[in-house]
Amino acid sequence: MMFAAILLLPRLLSPGAEPKDAVPLAPPRVQYRFNEASATRSPWIDANGWRMIRAPSRTFLYHVTGDAVALAAAEAFTYGSDALIATDASGTDVFNRMLDFLRQIPAADLNPVADIGVLDDASDAAGELMNLLTRQNLLYKLENAPDPSLRVNVRLGSKEYPSEEAGNPSLLAHKIRSQVGDENRSLRIYGSEVVIARFAANGRQARVYLLNYANRPVRGLRVRVRGAYARGEPRVFGVASADLEDWSRDGSATEFTVSELGTYAVIDLFR
Amino acid sequence: MDRRTFMQLAAAPALFAATGAPAYRVVSNHAPAANPGMPGPYRGVVIRVHSDAAINSETERVDSAIVRKMLSNGMRSLTGAKADRDAWAHFFSSSDIVGIKVNCSGAPDIMSTPEVVAGIVENLLNVGLKPDQIYIYERFLDQLTSVHYDRYVPAGVHILAVETPRGSIRGYDPNTYVEVDFFGEDDTRSNLVRLVTERFTKIINVPNMKDHGAAGVTGCLKNIAYGNFSNVARSHMREKTNTLSFIGTLACVEPLRSKTVLNIMDGLRGVWHGGPFVQNKHFLFYPKLMMFGTDPVAIDRLLLDVIEEKRKAEGALSVWDRSLANIKPNSRQDIHANQFIREPGHIEYAAKLGLGEYDKSRIHVESLEL
Repeated sequence: MMFAAILLLPRLLSPGAEPKDAVPLAPPRVQYRFNEASATRSPWIDANGWRMIRAPSRTFLYHVTGDAVALAAAEAFTYGSDALIATDASGTDVFNRMLDFLRQIPAADLNPVADIGVLDDASDAAGELMNLLTRQNLLYKLENAPDPSLRVNVRLGSKEYPSEEAGNPSLLAHKIRSQVGDENRSLRIYGSEVVIARFAANGRQARVYLLNYANRPVRGLRVRVRGAYARGEPRVFGVASADLEDWSRDGSATEFTVSELGTYAVIDLFR
Repeated sequence: MDRRTFMQLAAAPALFAATGAPAYRVVSNHAPAANPGMPGPYRGVVIRVHSDAAINSETERVDSAIVRKMLSNGMRSLTGAKADRDAWAHFFSSSDIVGIKVNCSGAPDIMSTPEVVAGIVENLLNVGLKPDQIYIYERFLDQLTSVHYDRYVPAGVHILAVETPRGSIRGYDPNTYVEVDFFGEDDTRSNLVRLVTERFTKIINVPNMKDHGAAGVTGCLKNIAYGNFSNVARSHMREKTNTLSFIGTLACVEPLRSKTVLNIMDGLRGVWHGGPFVQNKHFLFYPKLMMFGTDPVAIDRLLLDVIEEKRKAEGALSVWDRSLANIKPNSRQDIHANQFIREPGHIEYAAKLGLGEYDKSRIHVESLEL
């Protein structure tokens, strides 16, 4: 799937309209569950990217208010999905500001970058695995047959990924992560557990999408991408003249720090 | 090996294999000094200065004059110098930029005592440093500001928190870090404070004498290690903690190891249970002593005995108790329970990394009474 050649912008749902075929989505957000035992220390992120990757031709529907409108619009844009947003008057203003921001992002022919292939059997277990891969910034794409160019191909129920392992998706995601190897991952994020990234590239340039699911800004987010890039152009929602700090290239990777990330940023990288 | 990557723990793989330590990757473009600050010129030497009048345990009033004498006697005994200025000049010159790593994690009940820090600043000024060549620093702003060091030191001395706001990584050096995956966390880097790599030429470490639920005790090593790196709380989860190997590994990272030239343990106050915070003022105690040295391991080895002795006197579990039966989450006030499997062995582990002397028979302690 190539995306971003034509930018697909989210739309506001007209009051009273009831789209029949739209897939309803949960409001994107972070839930800090301090008093609950969990498999990790990480906060729980309600993110919808995996649903959009799974059904790229569907239309999605968010019911959101306030600042969550901006995140919902940015999430749909990031995954190139058609989305409708139902909100109130306060949300309309937020939506329009995000729409203005999204319109500034130039179209580009870019392919989503993946390290992992998932053979999706449409099961709940596969969906939950995709959800966790998304939340942990483990880049994947869906496929019908194993892609030898990818480091890891996952088919639940296979000898390597038996169905019983899917019962513990956190453990399974960690196994897949180990198989890829952190040093080989196309994208890494440091400095936040609540930012989900998407990465797309062609031979000349790349684009990093950064979604902050928390309701407060991240001060300093370190991004590492595989590939040698000479410069970057950041666009950060709510920041007039954003800047990338501590740019470095190390072997086959490029790193930089986004000094402040509110809800959303799009970073274009050029060779 | 990448040009900017020094695998500083080249001698450590055998140790890691023996202890089952996680796989650490240390990234730094800073080469060690010819004579690194730790363990420094006084390996295995600890000067212990006690004064019953240093702090009033009822009112908590600190006697600044006594503290000055403790600093004077401690530093002169450590260096063999006759005058204070000469003692401090063993370590510092007028061209240095000095970071004073305080510990404020238990503030405002326990912290690097302002009178002690003020005394250190006074001695640095006497060596010829200007106030703006001195930085009092800690990771977290709320803890640091609660102490009000500004009321005790001359104008111009910098008082800085690294994480403003908490969680920000901008105060850390993106090119100097330890990478490790403890529990499957996705952010696997702990970065060194940027001031350490870019600004300071020397560091003075001023920890307190405290019990620590994860590390067993917290003194020189933990203050200089966990107190100078980002994203370190990830090393604990449920009852398991990786403090055994992580503390020493962080303390070895250059240039932190080379620049940390002096350890002054402030034991006017102490915490004997529930540390590093003060869960209950009943857990405060008053050793009324200070320890001086360049060897953090030797000082922390003595700290172990201080905390263990006090816990024993109070009927608390030993710092060496690692029984799973005694692990009770959310029981910080229970002196018969542990939050984590304690790792007081982190001090001996650091000795094996070359940070100092752990064997008490090889530690020379000079005790002074004021």
